[in-house]
Amino acid sequence: MAAAAAAAAASSLTTPKLTFPSLQSLYRKLPLSFPLSLSSSSSLPLPKTLTTTTTSLSSRRPLSHHRRRHLTTRAEAENGAEASRHYDFDLFTIGAGSGGVRASRFAANFGASVAVCELPFSTVSSETTGGVGGTCVLRGCVPKKLLVYASKYAHEFDESRGFWMERLTGIYKNILNNAGVTLIEGRGKIVDPHTVDVDGKLYSARHILISVGGRPFIPDIPGSGYVIDSDAALDLPSKPKKIAIVGGGYIALEFAGIFNGLKSDVHVFIRQKKVLRGFDEEIRDFVAEQMSLRGIELHTEESPQAIIKSADGSLSLKTNKGTVEGFSHVMFATGRRPNTKNLGLESVGVKMTKNGAIEVDEYSCTSVPSIWAVGDVTDRINLTPVALMEGGALAKTLFQNEPTKPDYRAVPSAVFSQPPIGQVGLTEEQVMVIVLSKSAKRSLVVSAICTSMTGAIVFALQFQVVSLLPPLHPTNDIKPLAAASGIFVIESPLECKTATKEYGDIDVFTANFRPLKATLSGLPDRVFMKLIVCAKTNKVLGLNMCGEDSPEIVQGFAVAIKAGLTKEDFDSTVGIHPTAAEEFVTMRTPTRKIREHPPAEGKTDHDVKAAAGV
Amino acid sequence: MLHLICHLSQRKIAIVGGGYIALEFAGIFNGLKSDVHVFIRQKKVLRGFDEEIRDFVAEQMSLRGIELHTEESPQAIIKSADGSLSLKTNKGTVEGFSHVMFATGRRPNTKNLGLESVGVKMTKNGAIEVDEYSCTSVPSIWAVGDVTDRINLTPVALMEGGALAKTLFQNEPTKPDYRAVPSAVFSQPPIGQVGLTEEQATKEYGDIDVFTANFRPLKATLSGLPDRVFMKLIVCAKTNKVLGLNMCGEDSPEIVQGFAVAIKAGLTKEDFDSTVGIHPTAAEEFVTMRTPTRKIREHPPAEGKTDHDVKAAAGV
Repeated sequence: MAAAAAAAAASSLTTPKLTFPSLQSLYRKLPLSFPLSLSSSSSLPLPKTLTTTTTSLSSRRPLSHHRRRHLTTRAEAENGAEASRHYDFDLFTIGAGSGGVRASRFAANFGASVAVCELPFSTVSSETTGGVGGTCVLRGCVPKKLLVYASKYAHEFDESRGFWMERLTGIYKNILNNAGVTLIEGRGKIVDPHTVDVDGKLYSARHILISVGGRPFIPDIPGSGYVIDSDAALDLPSKPKKIAIVGGGYIALEFAGIFNGLKSDVHVFIRQKKVLRGFDEEIRDFVAEQMSLRGIELHTEESPQAIIKSADGSLSLKTNKGTVEGFSHVMFATGRRPNTKNLGLESVGVKMTKNGAIEVDEYSCTSVPSIWAVGDVTDRINLTPVALMEGGALAKTLFQNEPTKPDYRAVPSAVFSQPPIGQVGLTEEQVMVIVLSKSAKRSLVVSAICTSMTGAIVFALQFQVVSLLPPLHPTNDIKPLAAASGIFVIESPLECKTATKEYGDIDVFTANFRPLKATLSGLPDRVFMKLIVCAKTNKVLGLNMCGEDSPEIVQGFAVAIKAGLTKEDFDSTVGIHPTAAEEFVTMRTPTRKIREHPPAEGKTDHDVKAAAGV
Repeated sequence: MLHLICHLSQRKIAIVGGGYIALEFAGIFNGLKSDVHVFIRQKKVLRGFDEEIRDFVAEQMSLRGIELHTEESPQAIIKSADGSLSLKTNKGTVEGFSHVMFATGRRPNTKNLGLESVGVKMTKNGAIEVDEYSCTSVPSIWAVGDVTDRINLTPVALMEGGALAKTLFQNEPTKPDYRAVPSAVFSQPPIGQVGLTEEQATKEYGDIDVFTANFRPLKATLSGLPDRVFMKLIVCAKTNKVLGLNMCGEDSPEIVQGFAVAIKAGLTKEDFDSTVGIHPTAAEEFVTMRTPTRKIREHPPAEGKTDHDVKAAAGV
């Protein structure tokens, strides 16, 4: 009854042909209680007129009160005028990668009518080519891992890469078909908040999901036309003779390891002092050393300026430090950018960041209430399992009446360099380093440029800094990520005290050893393992490892760390012998203890104690 | 041992026994291209292990060329004129072995220690009887490790030894904790396990959900080898706690260690499921198992039937 009355009331306020944006602004003017009373009538049967005119209204249950945008979306469906609007689909997804397929499949399982559009398949991605399965399956995780194996065990591909890519894309197509999702091949473009244009054909949808992912970015410098990206690197007909890899991130390191394993002459050029910015400092040093021992040549603090092709066909790389010649290939692994060009986003009002990522809220909703985005295109944590999590959470939010926020705490990840890296939780540097200098009168907040905790302490002592921000990402990016990871972002001396109480004192346990296998092979391989423990609560805040099997080993520990287990839980677990993993449950003596002296004691510096028994 | 390895290629070995030592050596010699035959008294290898793991590892070993002779008990070993050995069993005689190895169990080393005369009680197979603090029947005599035949694993011996030192010299009586002790078998493929088997969990907890995964690892798609991976989670249907975790496939021992921390601490299936996976790994399967392969439900006695009711795959 109330629903019908509300619908009648709503219809009296609107004309039958209202478009969504104006309806939305209309509801914004109404008192909050109006939509709330509508959605609170979850026990009331919907008027027959509403259920019969909308294709899958019966599958849509009232959303909870969480955000007015959601209420607006639903209220608009209840409204007699809007409800009579027939949508082709409940959900139209642009991009059939990890996030898009997950959201679409789950949504379909929840009873929604779903369509996904994806560019036609090709081995290399472009403005007009892609393929069902997306980056992970076709141009990322899977082929990368296969190449890592190939480089380690000198296996040759039995089949051409194109063949198994097509097979994988076929498998994903079946997954979508079996879930009852309509697959449309073509380039999707948003026309309005409820309409997508795919190569000229229009489709309407209650919700639109953008999950178009990202693509490699190559800076526009002279000779960049000779440069290959990761897509092309996966597609090389044979191993490079001598390759320059520009970049210091995980993609650069993974390919460096692959080509080095295949016996190419590998040179890596990085702008920074160290590889893998943002990773634990000791891990950064360790992996670089291990890679050097395996023959990879690392050129640090070198920025590419031009690529020159000589008469004999070889390539030279000109940097700020000079020119290195004789490369058969030059690869740029200098970042990936979201694929948001020519999607119609600007015209429909979807806000984006300056590097083209779609801005979303915690529920993956864009600035347009009926448009959502998950995966790499939102540039949150660009990992397949995270895209899966985001897609699954969105399907629940939209079609299960369970608004679900993806949980970014303690997300584990790996780098398949050689040796590989596995990590979960905080790095040593991310744990708050608060230096309270009581003697300093000024409250100076410094966005630290230090890249290590020791460096941060030295810096603080020198300049009598009152507080430090974690020295990782640009300030404007760090806040949401920090909040999600449970890190305090310090901006005032008052906050310093609280954060210090939480995280200031930590114990760091490390192990650095030669694995059993290396004693046989004679190779200089080593393993590095690290635990970061909050001295106050004994919780394990972070776990890092670099060495063979790290990614496999870290997964189980990630469950423990996500659940907030303590060092004691680790220590009371019996080891599996002989393994490398058992080191994590047998670390008895902290390598270092980071302690903050209480100000009353006079000296206010951090006192880094040497290895002390526990 | 290393010189033995050189000698063993192109050789034929009979390994008698179905426990972890027999399987580990079977894998080693098979990997070195020996012709390996394993003779076991039981129907299956690895008695006491999860049933599905027992089947899976035997199948994988067979695929790799190891010949398994089940329900065969050794009766005699005969050396022929040419120096080769024959193994006579209850089922017949197999000839032509260059070596016959018995991996038929280990016994505590308690002979001629003076134990009987001083009054230290022992079990019938010679293990020293101890209480929870590793104290023998003589108050000043203690025993730890394999000689007590509790859980015969190095890390457990370390635990027992450490607990004893605390008990005796730290004024902290400490009992070794035998709950959720993980272990591995370095067969090929290897096994990792922690917590209860499906059979143990069914007995102790009644209603359980079993999640399994059986797949070809990524590496095998490249090598063309018939390798597969088997993974299993056993969850208490009532409390959602993960009671047991079993895995057979490459890297199992390394993978299981971290999960052992979670299981020892009593974490639930939900804790597992809310952990994001590391991709691409085999280990991530353990945090992405959504649908039980089977649900074991025990009928309450009042309903008449008291047998376990095994339901087919049901959605979760």
